[in-house]
Amino acid sequence: MSDLTQPAAAGSLSRRLAANSQIVLLAILVLLCIGISLSAAQFYSVENVIAILRQCALVLIVGAGMTMLLIAGEVDLSVGASLAFSGCVAMDVTNRTGSVALGAVAGILFGGLVGLFNGLVVTRLKVNSLIATIATMMILQGGVFLYTREAVQNKHQQPAFTDISTGYLGPIPLPVILAALVFAAAYIVLRYTTFGRYIYAVGANARAARLSGIQPERLKLIVFVVTGLLAGLTGLILASLMNTGQPTAGRGFELTVIATVILGGTSLLGGRGTLFGTLLGVLVLKVVDNGIIILRWDQNLQMIVPGVVIVLATYLDLVRSRADAR
Amino acid sequence: MPQSPSPAAAAGPSGAGALIRSLFRRNEAVLLGCLIVLIVFFSLASDSFLTVRNITNVLGQASLAMVAGIGVGVLVISGEIDVSIGSLAGAVGIPLVVIMNATGSLELGIAAALTLSLLVGAINGYLAAYVGINSLIATLGSMFVIRGAIYLYTGQKAIPDDLALESFYQLGNGRLLGTIPYPALVALVLLVGFIYIMRHRPFGRKLYAVGGNPEVARLAGFNVKRVKFIAFVICSLLAGISGILLSSRLGSAVHVAGLGFEFQVVAAVVLGGVSLAGGIGSLAGVALGVLILYFLANGLGMLNIATEWQLVITGLIIIAAVAFDELKRRRK
Amino acid sequence: MLADATPTRQLAGPGPAMEMTGIGKRFPGVLALEDVSVTFEPGKVHALMGENGAGKSTLIKILAGVYQKDLGTIRIGGIETDLRSPSDAIRQGIKVVFQEIALISEFTVAENIFLERYPVNGMGSISWRTIRNDAAALFERVGFKVDPSAKVGDLPVSQQQMVEIARALAREARIVVMDEPTSSLTPNEVALLFGVIRRLTGLGIAVVYVSHKLDEIFEIADTVTVLRDGRHISTKPVGEHTHDSLIQDMIGRRIENLFPRSRGASRGEVVVKVENLSTDSKLKDISFEARAGEVLGFFGLMGAGRTELAKAITGYDPIRTGRISIGGKPLLPHNTSTGVGLGIGLLSEDRKTEGLMLDLPVLQNTSLAALEQFARYAFVDEGREKSAVQSFVDRFRIKTPNLGQQIKNLSGGNQQKVLLARWLMRGLKVIVVDEPTRGIDVGAKSEIFALIDQLAAEGLAVIMMTSEMPELLGLSDRIAVMAEGRITATMSREDATQESILNAAIA
Repeated sequence: MSDLTQPAAAGSLSRRLAANSQIVLLAILVLLCIGISLSAAQFYSVENVIAILRQCALVLIVGAGMTMLLIAGEVDLSVGASLAFSGCVAMDVTNRTGSVALGAVAGILFGGLVGLFNGLVVTRLKVNSLIATIATMMILQGGVFLYTREAVQNKHQQPAFTDISTGYLGPIPLPVILAALVFAAAYIVLRYTTFGRYIYAVGANARAARLSGIQPERLKLIVFVVTGLLAGLTGLILASLMNTGQPTAGRGFELTVIATVILGGTSLLGGRGTLFGTLLGVLVLKVVDNGIIILRWDQNLQMIVPGVVIVLATYLDLVRSRADAR
Repeated sequence: MPQSPSPAAAAGPSGAGALIRSLFRRNEAVLLGCLIVLIVFFSLASDSFLTVRNITNVLGQASLAMVAGIGVGVLVISGEIDVSIGSLAGAVGIPLVVIMNATGSLELGIAAALTLSLLVGAINGYLAAYVGINSLIATLGSMFVIRGAIYLYTGQKAIPDDLALESFYQLGNGRLLGTIPYPALVALVLLVGFIYIMRHRPFGRKLYAVGGNPEVARLAGFNVKRVKFIAFVICSLLAGISGILLSSRLGSAVHVAGLGFEFQVVAAVVLGGVSLAGGIGSLAGVALGVLILYFLANGLGMLNIATEWQLVITGLIIIAAVAFDELKRRRK
Repeated sequence: MLADATPTRQLAGPGPAMEMTGIGKRFPGVLALEDVSVTFEPGKVHALMGENGAGKSTLIKILAGVYQKDLGTIRIGGIETDLRSPSDAIRQGIKVVFQEIALISEFTVAENIFLERYPVNGMGSISWRTIRNDAAALFERVGFKVDPSAKVGDLPVSQQQMVEIARALAREARIVVMDEPTSSLTPNEVALLFGVIRRLTGLGIAVVYVSHKLDEIFEIADTVTVLRDGRHISTKPVGEHTHDSLIQDMIGRRIENLFPRSRGASRGEVVVKVENLSTDSKLKDISFEARAGEVLGFFGLMGAGRTELAKAITGYDPIRTGRISIGGKPLLPHNTSTGVGLGIGLLSEDRKTEGLMLDLPVLQNTSLAALEQFARYAFVDEGREKSAVQSFVDRFRIKTPNLGQQIKNLSGGNQQKVLLARWLMRGLKVIVVDEPTRGIDVGAKSEIFALIDQLAAEGLAVIMMTSEMPELLGLSDRIAVMAEGRITATMSREDATQESILNAAIA
């Protein structure tokens, strides 16, 4: 599962098995695409592909952070609430200052602050990250309504704001470009830098890492902040898309993100996982979502499928790691 | 630090005596103290707080979370977790109302609802305990599936109680002797029953053992998988009961019922001193945790503090409580 | 309920308590036991010896119903039996006290005693009164002083082990198996244990005693069975063995010089200086120095504070008062980051939870502390990393098919070598090793000793915590003895005797 982060050591059996999980996912993806397009030719149309990519972009941006966080052994359930609040902040600041740039920065920074809060509660107060981020989620869900009674409307008429989500760079939507950039950056950090190695080490065995001179708390704090910033960015994009700061946005988003990360092979226990796997996970789930719409199946299936998929994926992973254990 | 309540030095007769004595064990005593402080504060701050009407209202509302909390508490003590209880609580409304509408019988409706709960619990338990899938993931999956199934079946609309059965209404909204809400009675009976089981029946002790030291439990001959499986079933059954009461209060099967419920309940359980690692905590603590959160919400409402503040304060309290607990643990 | 109750099963006939014949057990890739046959007689203490990996613990786990044999038969009281689960074994009267503490830490001592069968009243409710009374009676009869209502998790390890042993006696037993029972006991408690064992054999119970401690075997055992590499080597009355013959059976070759003596007496300057170190939990006013090129061995019984000291001076655990300086510079701020930066590192006694990153391969495990050396602008130069790790693997003769091998698949000895390599790659002035050869068989032990000796020869100061006297005497240049959180004696190797060391350890 962590084969892409391992330097090119000779192909041991376990490495080959681990690589398989991504190959399986890739195969599923390909099969899905073929299957859907056979029943509905418009699957391959440019508009549809772009629509899918747009969907993926939002999840992938936060998913990149969440992947690193899970590898480090923690989790963040507040990202949904965080992105909603950040979106409202972004729109509000843009309204007040007339500057989209300021609004964007404010939104993203707000997300980062939430990440900082989470990180401090987990590393300083030693609260379990599941509970801590659930609590943060509550605080944000309440807090956002204290900040703004209803949705924050676009009062500034700055076209640049909506351009963030509707703009294009060539044929590719801006959000997709942003997601690609975030993905690339996270991938490089995780795979090639000492920081990335330390994240894996801390997730695999925090005590051993500490004994070796690494400071797990500082590392985790950074990853929480990064995840928060990315949630803020996503909130900005979403607010731009809806042209409103919607306090109720992002409900259930965190679970979708976690689902895709787990599907991609990252372990809940820490120490294992790859960004490429997350990418595949996002693609698979979003292609399924898209397929359900195109094939005109009941849209409520969109909820069921991720559930089944997660359980199956984990089961396969389990089988594989038992075979691995020799 | 929250303890499993094996009546140690005070090995007197079981029942009320031991119950009260264990309440004064450290962690529960602190929680009880907090609850009392809370009640005193709000009764001073607002005239309408300490009325029979209000208190019984709160008890009625809290009883839904209390019932589910017992189930989650039992499961977390055994070392697992279930985040699908909210979806399940919402889902049981469907067979309940549909069967009730079709047959005119509340009892059949309840039976159908409980059957669904049993089924879900068995599936969760099978996946987590026997197949070995991490319980967070397995129940995350169920959560999605169940909620999706609800939307699918209801078409995102509520299913009303066509026959307007009086018994259905009374179940969730009626009161014994005009004061004590029936749901509160249900919660009380279940609470007492399960506290007894956790303390004085071998099965209850096995739950603690399996959650706290699973390897040791296995060596002692406990069937770890079976114990956990049963815990999942219990959790889902209780979530189902909670859902039945919820449905009665709403008067219909609502497709968004139970959204977010699981987080509330887990928060209350953790506040009550149950450790997510397993093997530690008590149902008395869970009960206190639920009461604290609900009285707090109620009291803040009395003071006309916006509902949003309640969410914020609840979140802060949870962080403070767990941090404090961790601090005590590290002191040892 | 108690061992003193009339034993109905044990005295059933003069035959053996248990016969294991032709036992075979295979795990994926490893033949753990091959055609092993042992017979346990009632009323006798039967010692089971062998290196790590010899198959002792596999055999015991088959006895306990934790593992299932692949081949062979087991006869209990003459009747062929299948032990398919721990409850089967328990029902057959087999009680095993494992090396790892198998108690529920949140429960009281009394409840732990009755874990396998709670006494219940007519309604099925647990009878706490019976539990409390019977537990108290059991302890009194056996002579352990422990509060039945204390929470097990709060007790010191030696008392926990006593509770474990008492647990074995709470029910009718035909066979009692003890796996390294004295590892955490004080000499007084060991004497008590032996008294209990004699009482058990007096009742006709067969006692199976697994231990590495030759002195104990000679004192308490009647028969000794030696296993090696999964096979039965010998079974003889203990009187027919000598120290050497036992060791020879266990390792199949003569180990002449277990301990290398390659270094001369020259020592460098002081690299570690500890003054008045105290911690909240255990340590009281510790002061000592260590020089480059010397091995300073710390000895002490369980609970003396060696591990606490190791963790304190490396910055891992916080301290309350005191000054620590490494290479003349103070260890401030007090954390491992500073410590490693100054050149002091800890090789923990618990490899699994504090050393190895089990999910990662050998490569990552080895280079962990030294990554900065291969980094340019935070990017890891994987080529340099790989060749550096490979050279250490070669130099230390670490047995692994390749660097990508998952570390959990390596043997204990090779895992320890990886951890040593991790520190050496980093480059240290002082290395603190806590129980360097725990869980490592005799063959690999000598390699580890040689490595440690080599480290000192290269100019490192080696601080070694150990509970094994031969190791202590064989490797150390100076010895410090700890008891109850203090240093009670320091002596040079030449002046040290086993008696003087033990006396200081008990003080």
